[in-house]
Amino acid sequence: MITMRTRYVAVVAGLALLGACGERPPVDTAQLGYRGVGMEQVTNPRLYAARLADNQVPAAPPAAEPGPPGPWQNVQVLTDVSAAEFTRQMTATSEWIVPDSWVDPKDINRANKCAYCHNLANMASDEKYTKVVARRMYQMTRDINGNYTNHVQQTGVTCYSCHRGNPVPQNIWFYTDQNQAYRYFVDRPDVRVQSASFVPSNDNRSSIKQTEYTYAVMLHMSNGLGVNCGFCHNSRQWSDWSQSTPQRMTALRGARMVRDLNSNYLVPLQPTWPKERLGPHGDGAKLMCATCHNGVNKPLYGAAMAKDYPSLYPGGMGSATTTMPTTDSTGAAVTPPADATAPTAHVMPSKTAPGAGAVAPRTATPPTPAAVPANTGPEGVGAMGGSGQSGKNLPTDKVPVPQELQRPK
Amino acid sequence: MIEYQNLFTRVQVRTTTEDWGVPIEDDIWRKESGIDTRSGLGYLLGKIGDYQIGPIHLGVTGVASLVFGILAINIMGINFLADVNWNPIQFIRQLPWLSLDPPAPQYGLHLAPLRAGGWWQIAGLFLTISILLWWVRIYRRARAQGLGTHLPWAFASAIWLYLVLGFIRPVLMGSFAEAVPFGIFSHLDWTAAFSIRYGNLFYNPFHMLSIAFLYGSALLFAMHGGTILATTRMGAEREIEQITDRGTGAERGALFWRWTMGFNATMESIHRWAWWFAVLCTLTGGIGILLTGTAVDNWYLWGQKHGLVPQYPDVWNGTDRGTVDEQQGQLQQSPPDTLPGLPGVKAGTLRTPEGSIKAPIGSRRALDANAPELRKPTGGQP
Repeated sequence: MITMRTRYVAVVAGLALLGACGERPPVDTAQLGYRGVGMEQVTNPRLYAARLADNQVPAAPPAAEPGPPGPWQNVQVLTDVSAAEFTRQMTATSEWIVPDSWVDPKDINRANKCAYCHNLANMASDEKYTKVVARRMYQMTRDINGNYTNHVQQTGVTCYSCHRGNPVPQNIWFYTDQNQAYRYFVDRPDVRVQSASFVPSNDNRSSIKQTEYTYAVMLHMSNGLGVNCGFCHNSRQWSDWSQSTPQRMTALRGARMVRDLNSNYLVPLQPTWPKERLGPHGDGAKLMCATCHNGVNKPLYGAAMAKDYPSLYPGGMGSATTTMPTTDSTGAAVTPPADATAPTAHVMPSKTAPGAGAVAPRTATPPTPAAVPANTGPEGVGAMGGSGQSGKNLPTDKVPVPQELQRPK
Repeated sequence: MIEYQNLFTRVQVRTTTEDWGVPIEDDIWRKESGIDTRSGLGYLLGKIGDYQIGPIHLGVTGVASLVFGILAINIMGINFLADVNWNPIQFIRQLPWLSLDPPAPQYGLHLAPLRAGGWWQIAGLFLTISILLWWVRIYRRARAQGLGTHLPWAFASAIWLYLVLGFIRPVLMGSFAEAVPFGIFSHLDWTAAFSIRYGNLFYNPFHMLSIAFLYGSALLFAMHGGTILATTRMGAEREIEQITDRGTGAERGALFWRWTMGFNATMESIHRWAWWFAVLCTLTGGIGILLTGTAVDNWYLWGQKHGLVPQYPDVWNGTDRGTVDEQQGQLQQSPPDTLPGLPGVKAGTLRTPEGSIKAPIGSRRALDANAPELRKPTGGQP
């Protein structure tokens, strides 16, 4: 006989079992591909709301007046922005990078934030490693915004995209072992294991272990972007481009970008960092998808933050009326950052340069924004593949709909 | 008051020594079994099956099988322990992720160094010996009781799949690296990776058959169990006595299935259905695995050639999926044994303040070793 007590026990046990699954409902599913192929994006509005709160863009300071560059010494990257814009950018960067906990509470000018990189007695000095790293990071940001529009589109990136108020971004990696999946982002770019023909041959001797490496790389992308496999692939044949979404190409371009950035910017910085910033093998921090994406398929949910910071674009977006002469502290002429001019010519110190194979080729001409619908997810899915199968949308009046869930009006 | 109505109830039917008929020896059963029918253990066991435990007959093959099996399990466990630097707490914590892997492809079918797959080969050999000895034992016990050999041959079907996965197919492929690792999650990950590598096992027709027999076995089991429990109120558990009679419980069960699906198995044939479904599950599964990589390298493309693959409209038509040049990629290469930026460092082990350790990729230990404090803001002078 089933008593009330038995029922209570059953209900409590059932709830405990559900709780063990780790994610409390509700769960919503958005259809991404043709109906029936199971290309879906699973989201949880509650978790989404929490993630959205973590991805708010800091307010931009008022725009700076145009004018000539300031009389700064030893400026090597931001030579082409006005004095006011330069100061504005420095202030913004210090807020993005240096945590409030680092600031002396008694210092109302928050000058200590400048001291994170600068010797306040001699701002031009490169004695702090953080300043040298920051300079390289400015070059990298300009490179991304100028030359990788096939991945970052017109949205661009800022220091904040990755740093989020931390001197070291939250999601970085160091070497652990030879088979580490993150090597995909430096020197092990090839992940393909499926044959193009069903007849076995010696052309493809990929092993199961190699396939697991591929799996690990793909799961990093999935976790790093907060998307399911079906966001890019039709799982019935991962390798088939004709069944993949446009996001797969965006992701591949991004992976090639990260590989270039690691090879040309992060790995060469290794001697610059002090020992306490290095990993267990003595290597420096490196990028991966999650560094910038932070669990969101479009960083900061696609907020166009970079457009407010002309310093972060090659040439400073013409914010200065003249260009500052480029000299380093010794007065010698400095090569302008290669990123501003030639997309394929990278500053690559020969000491640490990996094989040329690690630098993947990229398209000479990035596609124009008009030809490429901004990477906003499943536009038009409803018209082409039927309406979303769950039949219910997120409560749009309460929780903003993430980019990947937007449906045609 | 529970009333005894038929044989199939939850009442535990027990005999007392007085009911055993003419005593051959005094209390012979208690002496042999060592189990008192009125003990607590007997009662609890009676809730899920027979209240009696033993007598058990191990024999030479049973003992040898247990020895080899325990050796194999211990080799796996000790390797796991070595992987976590002999830390018992980490052993428990990481147990689901720990794995004893087969040798890398470059060792082919040769013996590998112990910590590079050699222990996997030894553990696999011992486990195989143990399983085969257990089969012999089952066969001999069946024969000793004068039974048919249905059970050993059904077990042999499962052993066939095991041997295909761990030995026959790797030998045909020329590398033990193709075999399954020993580990809780690692063998599941192997399954996923195997399907990905060979272009989606769902398009393998023998995999389809195996799944049909697997789910079919569960369905038949439920149908048969349900039928018998439902008809015992008419005494249908005495199925053979009722099998030819009209109006009995057995006839009602048969009629139920004819009413609902137009056809019924008989009280005899349902057991052959169940036996064959179970046997064919692993038999066809083994064939499907055996053909993978040896005869077919991409099951999806094979299915496409043979009309198994439905085509769907390209909902992304006209959007940017890059140029063909951009889509180009290489098949995966072996990992380089140097690390960019670290010319002198040999990849493979982790150097931590505690010394050199081996940490599985992505393991908690590897993550811990990555010095999480480095990720926090320093809070002081850089």
